[in-house]
Amino acid sequence: MMLGGDATDHSNTAKYKSAILQKLGKKVRGIHILNGNEIHVILSTKEEIPESCYYVHKDLKTKLATVICSDERLAGRGFMLRYVFAKENGEDVFIILTARIKENDDSAGGRHLTFPSIALHIPSAALYEREIKDMFGIWPDGNPDTRPLVLHEQWPEDVHPLRKDFDINSKIPRIYNREYPFTKVEGEGVCEIPVGPVHAGIIEPGHFRFSVLGENIINLETRLFYTHKGTEKLAESMNLDQVLLLSERISGDEAVANSMAYCQALERIARANVPKRALQIRTICAEMERIYNHLGTLAGMSTDVGFAYGASRLNILKERMMQLNEYVSGSRLLFGVNRIGGVGIDLMDDKLKHVVNTTNLLSEDFQRVISMLKDKSSVMDRMRNTGIITRRVAADLGLVGVAARCAGIDADTRRDHPYAEYDSLRLDMRHDTPQHLMEYEIEMQKMKGDALSRFEVRVEDVVNSISIVNEVITNLHSDNVLVVADVVDRLEPYSHALGYAESHRGQTIHWVMIGEDCNSLSRYKIRTASFVNWPAIEQAVLNDIVPDFPLVNKSLDLSYSGNDL
Amino acid sequence: MIGKIGKRANSGSADIVGNSIETVGDPIKDIHAFPNYRGRVSLAEKAGLPLENYEAAEEICASGAIKIQACGDKEKITLDMGKCFLCGRCQEVAPDLLRVESAFAIPVRKREELIESLDGIAPAEESFEKMGKELKEKVGKILGRSLAVREVDAGSCNGCEVEITALNNPVYDIERFGIHFVASPRHADVLLVTGPASRNMEVALKRTYEATPDPKIVVAVGACGCSGGIFGDTYATTGGIDKMVPVDVYIPGCPPRPEAILYGLLLAVDRIPEKHG
Ligand code: SF4
Ligand code: SF4
Repeated sequence: MMLGGDATDHSNTAKYKSAILQKLGKKVRGIHILNGNEIHVILSTKEEIPESCYYVHKDLKTKLATVICSDERLAGRGFMLRYVFAKENGEDVFIILTARIKENDDSAGGRHLTFPSIALHIPSAALYEREIKDMFGIWPDGNPDTRPLVLHEQWPEDVHPLRKDFDINSKIPRIYNREYPFTKVEGEGVCEIPVGPVHAGIIEPGHFRFSVLGENIINLETRLFYTHKGTEKLAESMNLDQVLLLSERISGDEAVANSMAYCQALERIARANVPKRALQIRTICAEMERIYNHLGTLAGMSTDVGFAYGASRLNILKERMMQLNEYVSGSRLLFGVNRIGGVGIDLMDDKLKHVVNTTNLLSEDFQRVISMLKDKSSVMDRMRNTGIITRRVAADLGLVGVAARCAGIDADTRRDHPYAEYDSLRLDMRHDTPQHLMEYEIEMQKMKGDALSRFEVRVEDVVNSISIVNEVITNLHSDNVLVVADVVDRLEPYSHALGYAESHRGQTIHWVMIGEDCNSLSRYKIRTASFVNWPAIEQAVLNDIVPDFPLVNKSLDLSYSGNDL
Repeated sequence: MIGKIGKRANSGSADIVGNSIETVGDPIKDIHAFPNYRGRVSLAEKAGLPLENYEAAEEICASGAIKIQACGDKEKITLDMGKCFLCGRCQEVAPDLLRVESAFAIPVRKREELIESLDGIAPAEESFEKMGKELKEKVGKILGRSLAVREVDAGSCNGCEVEITALNNPVYDIERFGIHFVASPRHADVLLVTGPASRNMEVALKRTYEATPDPKIVVAVGACGCSGGIFGDTYATTGGIDKMVPVDVYIPGCPPRPEAILYGLLLAVDRIPEKHG
C-alpha cells in the first residue's frame, strides 16, 4: 500500500486517462491533466453526464467529492458543471467530469435551464443538485426533491445569488405566505416533534423534525442553512488575501484546515515552492486543531451520557490546548496561521519546547481520563449500539472523516491525497507488514458505526495527532523565509485548481477559479466535511430514542456554519 | 486595571483544579493573555506618517474598520473595533499608526464607543444612537441573585460559540458568578447573540427576543454581532444584531476571549462601572 509517497508521481493518471477515453469514447470532447493529479474530462453535451458519472463512480471506484457549478458567461462559456470524483486508498487521483450548459439550453420549455440529475444512482449528489438549483437557477431534471435548500421559503424562486448578474448587496423582500413542506409520516400513534432552530444548548442553529412512535424515532428530517452567510458570493467581491481571512471563518473551529485548503489551491495553480518549514508549521497547527476539537467533542459526549466529571476533565485539556494555540499563533482558534504561499507565524525554540512539553503532559492526562471513562459501564453502555451508521449508508452517502471510519471505511485525505508535510510522514504504521495490514482490516471490519466506535476513532486520532506534532517538530527545517511572495503574481485569469485538507471532521475540498484581474476569484466553491456528513444523522438515529439524539449529534460533531456557508 | 495583562505564569500561582491547570481568579483583574495575542488594535497618538500610509491601512483592512474621513480641511482617521476582526494586517502596512495589542477590546454599551478616532470624537452613527440609554434602570430591576443567559447563534462561524462554551469549563467556571446558561428564552434575563444576523435566522431571532420576558438585555458578541464583521451586510446577512433587535452591550473581538464575554455580561448587569480609562 502506498502511504504518502512521492506527491509528484501521478503515473496512475495516465492509466485512468486511457481507460476513460476507451470507455466513454464519443461522449468526451477533450481530456487533459491539470495540477498533477486532476484529470479533466470535457463531456461533449450535458446529456452525457449521467452515464459518464456512473462509469467513473462505479467502475473506476471513486467517491463523489463535490459538484461545482460556475457562471462563466462573462468568459463566453455559459454555465459550467464540474463533477469531482476522488480515488481513495493510496491513489492520489481526482477525475473531474465537466459539462457546459448554454444559456439557450431551455429543455423545460423555456422556463428553466436544466441538467440531468444523477441523484437516484449516486445519492450523495442529491444535495449538490438542490444547491445548484437555488444558487444558479439550473434545475436538476429528475431529482425528486424540488424543495429549496439554501435559500429558505421566504426567498423568491427566480433570484439566484451565485449568478454573476446578482449584486451581493441586494436586499430581496421576503415572501411570507410559503411554508416548507416537511415529509409527513402518518399512522396510529405517530407524533411529530419539532426542535430548533434555536437549541437548548450553546450550539449553532438548525431545525430537526422527529416523527416518533412512542419513544422510538421512525423518521428524522433535518433542515439547515439557517446560518447561510453568502460566503461563496462574498469571496467573489474580495481580493485573494481577504478571501484567506474569510476562509478561516467558514467554520471557526476548522480555521487551519479550511485556510490551508484555500492556500494550497492557489499554490497549486502557481506551482509555488512553499518552504518546507512553512509546510511543517502548517502541519503542526493542523494537528493542534484536531486535538483541541476532538477533546471538546469527547467532553461533549461525556456530558451527553450524563458523566459530568469526565466532561470537566476533558474540557480542562481542551482549554489547555486553546491556550497553547494562543501562545503559538496569537489566537485561541489558530486564526492567522496560514498565508498564501506559506505561514504567518514562526515557531522559535522556546515555543517548540513549550508545545512538546504541553502535548506530552496532555497525553498523559488524556490517557488517564480515557481509561477512567472506559471503566464506567454507564458511559460505555450508553454509547454502544447508539446512533449506528451502517457501512452501506456510509458508502452511499460518501461519508468522510470520523463518520466514515467509524463504519469501517478508511478515508483520510492526509494519506490518500498527501499535502503539506504529510507525504513524508508515515501516518499509518499498521500497514507496515502483511500481518499488520490484515489485523488492521479485521479491526476496520469490526467497526460498528455506533457512537462508541466514533468515540474510539477520536481517541485514537488524538493520540496520533500528538505523535505527529512531535515527529514534525523533531524534523523541523530551518528555512529563514516562511512565505513565497510571488504566488499571486503567477496566477492567470480563469485558471483553477482543487485544494484539500483533512480537518477534524474529515475532508474539506475547495475549488478556486481565478478572476480576470488575477487578484480575485471568479468562483470559490467550498465543500466541507459537514456538508457530506450531515445527511448521515437522519439515518443514524433511526430506531434510537429521542433522548439519544444529543449524544448521536455530538458524536458526529458537525458544523452548521461549514455546511450552510 | 481592566485590559492590562498580568505576566503569565505557566505553572504555579492560582488554584490548582487538577490536570495542572489554574482557575482564573478574578476574571476582570486577572486576565491571562500571551504577549502575541491579538486582542485589539489601537491608534497611535502621534503618527508622523504621510497620509499614503493611512490609506494603505484603510485599503488593506477587509472589515472596513479603518476609515479616513474629511473633517473640515483636515483628514481624520477612525478605527472601529466593532468591525475589526483582528487579522493584524494594518499593523503590517502602517506600524507607526496602528498597533495590535494583547489586551482585549473592552465591551461597551453604545455602539459608537467602539469607534476610536485620532482627531476628536468620531461621528455617531444614527442607528446606534438609541441604544444603551435605559440600560441602567432596566438592570436594577432584573437583578436577583443570579443571571440567566440564553445563547442565540444568529449565523456565527461558530468561533464565538467555542469561546462561550469555554466559559462553562472548570477554568473560567462562570457559574460561580451566578451566571447560568438556560435552555429556554422564557427563563432568560439576557440574550447573548452571536453572528452577523443571517437572513435565514431573522424570524427565529425575533421570536426568541419576543419570547424573552421583560425587562430583557441583549448582548451582541463578536465583530459579527457588533457589525456583521467579515460577513458584512449582504443579501444573506443584515450587518449586526442591532439591525434586528435592540442591543444593550457590544462585545468586540473575533472571537472575543472568554474574559471579554464575561466582562460584557457583567457590564450588562451593571456590576462594573460604565467606562474605564
Ligand atoms: S486588524 Fe482590524 S483594523 Fe487592522 S486590518 Fe485587520 S480587521 Fe482591519
Ligand atoms: S466574530 Fe469572528 S469568531 Fe465570532 S462569529 Fe464572527 S467571524 Fe466567527
